[in-house]
Order: sequence, then structure tokens, then C-alpha cells
Amino acid sequence: MDQVMQTIIIGLAEGLIFALVALGYTLVYGIIELINFAHGDVFMIGSLIAFFILAPSQAAGGLGIFPITAKTPVPLMIGEILVTLAIVISITALLNVAIERLAYRPLRHAPKVAPLITAIAMSFVLQNVGIIFAGSVQRTTESIFPTTNLLAGVGITGFEITLSQVFVAVVTIPLLVGLTWFVAKTRQGKAMRATAQDPDAAGLMGVDINRTIAITFLIGGALAGAAGVVQILYNNVTVWNLGFRFGLNSFTAAVLGGIGNLPGAVLGALLLGQINAFSDRFIAPAWTNAIVFGVLIAILVFRPKGLLGQQLADRA
Amino acid sequence: MSQLAESVDTSVPTVGTGFSGWLGHIGQVLSELPEGYRGRLRRKRRQTIIVTILALLGLTYPVIHQYFLAGFSRNVFPLPLPDDTVMTFMMIFSIMAVGLNIVAGFAGLLDLGYVAFYAIGAYVAAFLASPHWAAFGINIQFLSLHGAGQSGIHLPFWIVVPIAVIVVATFGALLGAPTLRLRGDYLAIVTLGFGEIVPLVFKNLSNVTWSMALGPINIHLVGANLTGGVQGINPVDAPFLPILNVVFDARAGFLPVYLGIILMLLAVLVARNLQYSRIGRAWIAIREDETAAEMMGVNTVRTKLLAFALGASFAGVAGALQASYLGATTSDFFDFNISILVLIMIILGGIGNIWGVVVGALTLQYVDRTFLPYLSQQIQSINPALPNLAQYNFLIFGIILLFMMRFRPQGFIPSRQREAELSVIGLSAAEAEMGIPIDEETGQPIDVDNIELAPPGQDETGPDSRAPEVPGEGRDQ
Repeated sequence: MDQVMQTIIIGLAEGLIFALVALGYTLVYGIIELINFAHGDVFMIGSLIAFFILAPSQAAGGLGIFPITAKTPVPLMIGEILVTLAIVISITALLNVAIERLAYRPLRHAPKVAPLITAIAMSFVLQNVGIIFAGSVQRTTESIFPTTNLLAGVGITGFEITLSQVFVAVVTIPLLVGLTWFVAKTRQGKAMRATAQDPDAAGLMGVDINRTIAITFLIGGALAGAAGVVQILYNNVTVWNLGFRFGLNSFTAAVLGGIGNLPGAVLGALLLGQINAFSDRFIAPAWTNAIVFGVLIAILVFRPKGLLGQQLADRA
Repeated sequence: MSQLAESVDTSVPTVGTGFSGWLGHIGQVLSELPEGYRGRLRRKRRQTIIVTILALLGLTYPVIHQYFLAGFSRNVFPLPLPDDTVMTFMMIFSIMAVGLNIVAGFAGLLDLGYVAFYAIGAYVAAFLASPHWAAFGINIQFLSLHGAGQSGIHLPFWIVVPIAVIVVATFGALLGAPTLRLRGDYLAIVTLGFGEIVPLVFKNLSNVTWSMALGPINIHLVGANLTGGVQGINPVDAPFLPILNVVFDARAGFLPVYLGIILMLLAVLVARNLQYSRIGRAWIAIREDETAAEMMGVNTVRTKLLAFALGASFAGVAGALQASYLGATTSDFFDFNISILVLIMIILGGIGNIWGVVVGALTLQYVDRTFLPYLSQQIQSINPALPNLAQYNFLIFGIILLFMMRFRPQGFIPSRQREAELSVIGLSAAEAEMGIPIDEETGQPIDVDNIELAPPGQDETGPDSRAPEVPGEGRDQ
């Protein structure tokens, strides 16, 4: 039982990171029906930039800008993480907008598979950018969080929650809530929903389609960047092809929840986190990817609108 | 478009059933070759002469290479010449390109997991012609003089290939069956998933993983190391021709290249026959408009299944050839990159055009295996600190793919019909929105209302084949 609880907690933390990336997929698919294959690689770029900023020293391969270690004073550490988040989010958000502007927008009226193939090509380009800057080896940082069990304080033993897992929740949950609020309540969010429903009609009603799509990519890129920072601080490892595995997990999450559906993407990501954690723990890590792909295929074949239903079911 | 359809109709060859039908058909094709060649020479004299010279050069090159160029061919400035291994891989990938072209080009089903069938083909060859099963006490030898006296299963290559085709076609149909309802991008993702799972299964079905999962059970008794795991299966028997007593392995010089050329030409012949047959026209019909095709009586389920199965079977041949030629197979070779590489080949060459995709495959394999290593060697001999371009081959291919999709989605040797469909992609977004097509040659807007139609039956690409498609139509496919 303790093992199961522990696995659930590990899966929860991973699922929250998936959620940030999955939202990027679901937002973009919702609005232009494109499986943005390069999205996972934008996340990877984010985690690499975070690595370069935060790696403890130049010897470890970083730039030594904010070399944080477990010994860094906590207020300084928080400040440095916040600044890193701001830098990485800005870069990945602008990168995502640039990708949309240069690669996808010219193909907006082409047959559907043309932008998909372009997105795959963009994914390859970004992976190689990763290799150029960070090499083809794994880059690791040291863990900055103490490994003490926070549950010991309330008298629970057998399984544990560590500060690193709390950190993941503290960063991701406000972002998820904020995004939901943005799409549901703001004027720009309304424009996004209108464009997702019917771009032509939205355009006729005065919505600037290009701007709305650009903002969608901006938000998606920002969330991917945040996920990248969280990933490097939580798992302490990044590599050029991290985006492929992570991206497909997150895309599977988005499909599982019902692509185009924001709460669905979060729900799907949390489930995917559990599937990953349970497979790693109780089957074998070597099979986890195959299981995730199996889930993806099963959903697409048997329930393509996902668990919570698709907002755009008729157009998929 | 109707004009195109008619010209396709008239050239349907009579395809007999069964093996004798095929043999007869090959004879028919060969007997019609001189007549067809003369006709082509009359119509497109210059193009035909150039293609003939290139084909003759290509067919004699492996011999010339071995006797006159070996040793320094890789260092010819500025274009290094491919060696036997590279040429064999050029043929292997040509076969795959022809196969993927059936699925993605003719039937319009984007398959991002084509590597799965390549892997299955390779493993079928490895299972049926290697000492692998000796560990399980299974020893079968059948007509295989090459593997004589060895333990394990040893079937000759000429029997392995048809078996690989059948097995891979079965897997193609198995993948196709549940995905028939899916369209476009979802289908692409399902095939991608399949393409990832298959090599993982080959990698993981080894004793290490199983002993972890099953605890202290005697793995040989449950037959756990089915696939050789990470090491793969090694050695695999090379193709062997008893009559001439020749072995087509990596040490046999130009021989495996010609084996590859023969299999590639067979693949092209089969693909051409399929293209002009009833099923080929049905593929193109469902690609154009599935609903309309169904209304016209095309059985879309059967048609798509056949596209998947037949398209996949080519990769089975390619995989079997690769494993037999290299004498080994490992799961690491079959990753997602290969699927995309073949996709880039057919897009570069001209999706839907058989010879176009062959040229695309030959070119990309040459660039990947000979030109880029040579170029980076030259660059690094100037300064070792300069980047190793061969390491960034997929960066270069990714950029090529980006530019192809943006500026020339129909490829360099386009299929006329595909060109007509895709022409709208070549427009900038603003142009496409306004619906003004641009003449690719002159750069001037085409006056849609006053297009001169080519006289019926004329073989050249008439202006009508570039007729504008209604912008935005692609969204609703």
C-alpha cells in the first residue's frame, strides 16, 4: 500500500509537469487543428536554457549565471528561480511565436498534413539546435531540495512527499489556474475561444485572427518554458531528445482528456503521470514508452474525443 | 482533372491473377518496352536521352567502381562517389520509398511509423536465417546450403523474402484495420505510435527484462530472449545463390548492389502496376475525396487496408535485404528518424511519382552516407574546431523538409496530379486568402477566367493542372 501511495505521489508531480506541456498542445490544436509536433522540443529548449542558467558551475557545463546548489540561501534561491523562470518563459514564448510566424502561418490554408510535416521538420531542427548548444550527452544538475520527508511532521511514515514535489505543485498549479482564468474570463480568451470555434466567423466579428493565434502560441511556449525550468529542478536532467518522449506523453495526455479541452488536458496529464509512474514501478521502465504509445493508439482508435469530450469533435 | 483520369484509364495493363499471370505480365511489359521507348524518344527526345545515359551509367557504375575507382572513390572532388555499402543502402531505401509512396502518395494516408515494417522485415529475416533459435533447441534447415551444418533455423533468402512480405503485409493490415475511421493527423499519430512500439518490443523481449518482471524463473524454459534484446540478432545468413555459388554479403563487392537494383526495379514494376490498376485508381480516388469515392462504389475499408498492407510489404523486402546484407540486426537501427527520412525522400522526389521518390531516396542516401561525411571531413581538415556536418544530418534534412513544404510541396519530380492539388500551398498566406494563384514560372498572377486549356490527350502539363483550388478547402478534408 505504501508503495502504491508513493507511486501516486511521484506520478502526481510528473503529471503536473506534463499538464503544462499538454496545455500547449491542446491550445494550439484547439485553435488551428495542428498537432504541434515541435512543442515538446520547445519544452526541451526551455529546460536546456534553464540548465545553462542554473548549473552550479561552468565546470558542470553551465554558464554560471545563477549557480544554485543545495547550500544556496533560500531567499536567494527563490529569487534566482523566479528570474530564471522569467528568462526561460520569455525565450520559449517568443520562440514558439516565431515558429508559428515563419513555419506554420504560410501553410495555414494548405492541406492538413502539410503543417504537420512542417512541425515534424521543426522538431528535428530544434533537437539539433539542442545538440549544437548542449551536445548529445545528458546534462545534469545537482538537486537543490532537501530530501526530508514532509509527511513525517504529520506522523505519516512509509511513503513520503519531498520539498521538490511541493515545488512542482507550487509552480504549476497557479499557472494552470491562471491559464484557465485567462481563457475563460478575459477578452483575449474570448477571442481565442471564438477563433477555435470558427476562425472565419470570428474574423468577420472583428477578431484579429493572426494576433489571436500568435498569442495562443505565446501562451503555449510560455507554459512549455515554465515546464522546462520545473523539469530541470525536479528531475535534474535534460538532454536534446527529452522533448520527443515528453512531448508524446503530453500529447497523449491532451488526447486522453479530449484535445482542445483545457481541463481535459490537465486531467489527462495527471492520469498519464500515474500511468508512467505505475509502469516504471510495477512493470519495467523499458516498457513505459510502449505502454504510453499503446494508450495513445487505444484512445485515438476507440474514443478519439477523449474522456471529457472534444470541444471541436466534428472538425477532427 | 477529368482529363488526367481518362489518360490513366487508357493505359491500364491487363493484370492476370496468380503467379503465372505475373510472369506473363512481366513478359508483356518487357515486350512493350522497345515500342514505349521509341514513342518516348519521339515525344521528349532530350529528356529521354539524358535519362537513358544516367540509367546506363547507374547500372554499370557498381562494376566500374569496383575495378577502377575503389580505394579513392570517396575522395573525388567535389562529389565523392558512393561505395558498395552506400549503393546497397540506396537501393534498400529506394524500395522503402516506393512502398511509403503507395500509402502516403497514392492513398494519401500519412504513415509516420513506416520504420515498424522495416524492422519487422529485418527481424523476420533474422529469425528465419540465423543460429538464433539454436538456444531454444530449434534446428531447421531447408534448402539453405549457405547455412548448412549450422544449428538454428536457416532458410534461404529467396524464401525469407516472400515470408517477410506476407508477415509484414499482415502487420500492415493489422495496423490499418483499427485506424480506418481516422483521418489525416490522427492517423499519422497512431502510425507513429506503432512505429515506436515495434522496435521497443524487439528491444525489450530479451531475457534481462523478463527476468526482472518474472523473478527467478528459468528464462530459457519460458523462451524469454526472443529477440536478442539490445544486441539484436547476429549473425544473419547472407543471400546465397547456389547456381553461381555466390554470396551477397558486405564482402561481395558489387554483387549485393545488383541484388538491390533488381529488387528495386521489381518494386517499381509492382508499384507501377498497382498505380494503374483498379485498386490504384481507387487509392487516388479516396485520397482526392473519400466520401465521393465511397459514393461511386469504392470499398474504402478494403482499399485502405490494401494500401497499408501492400505499402508495408515493400518495407518487409527492404528490411529482409538489410538484415541479410549486413548479417545482423538490432532494434536501435529502427527509430523514428528512419520513418521521417523515408518521408523526406518521397516529399523531396515528388510524392505520388514512383520514379520521383526513387530519385529522392537515391539522392538522400547518397547525401547522408557519402556526401555529408566527405564534406565535414573536408571542412574539418581546414580547422578541426569546425562542426562535424555529418553529425547534424537531421538538422539539414529538417531544414530541407521545412523549405520543401513551404516552397515546393509537390517535390522536384512531381506527379502531375499531386502538383495540381498542392499548388495552393506554394502561395503565400495572403495570396491564398485572396485566392489569386501565381504562375510558378513567370511569377505573374494567373488570370483564372481566361485559362487556355490544353487540347485533350496532350501529354504535357497543361495550365489546367495548376488550376486554383478553392483556398481553405484543405481544412475540411
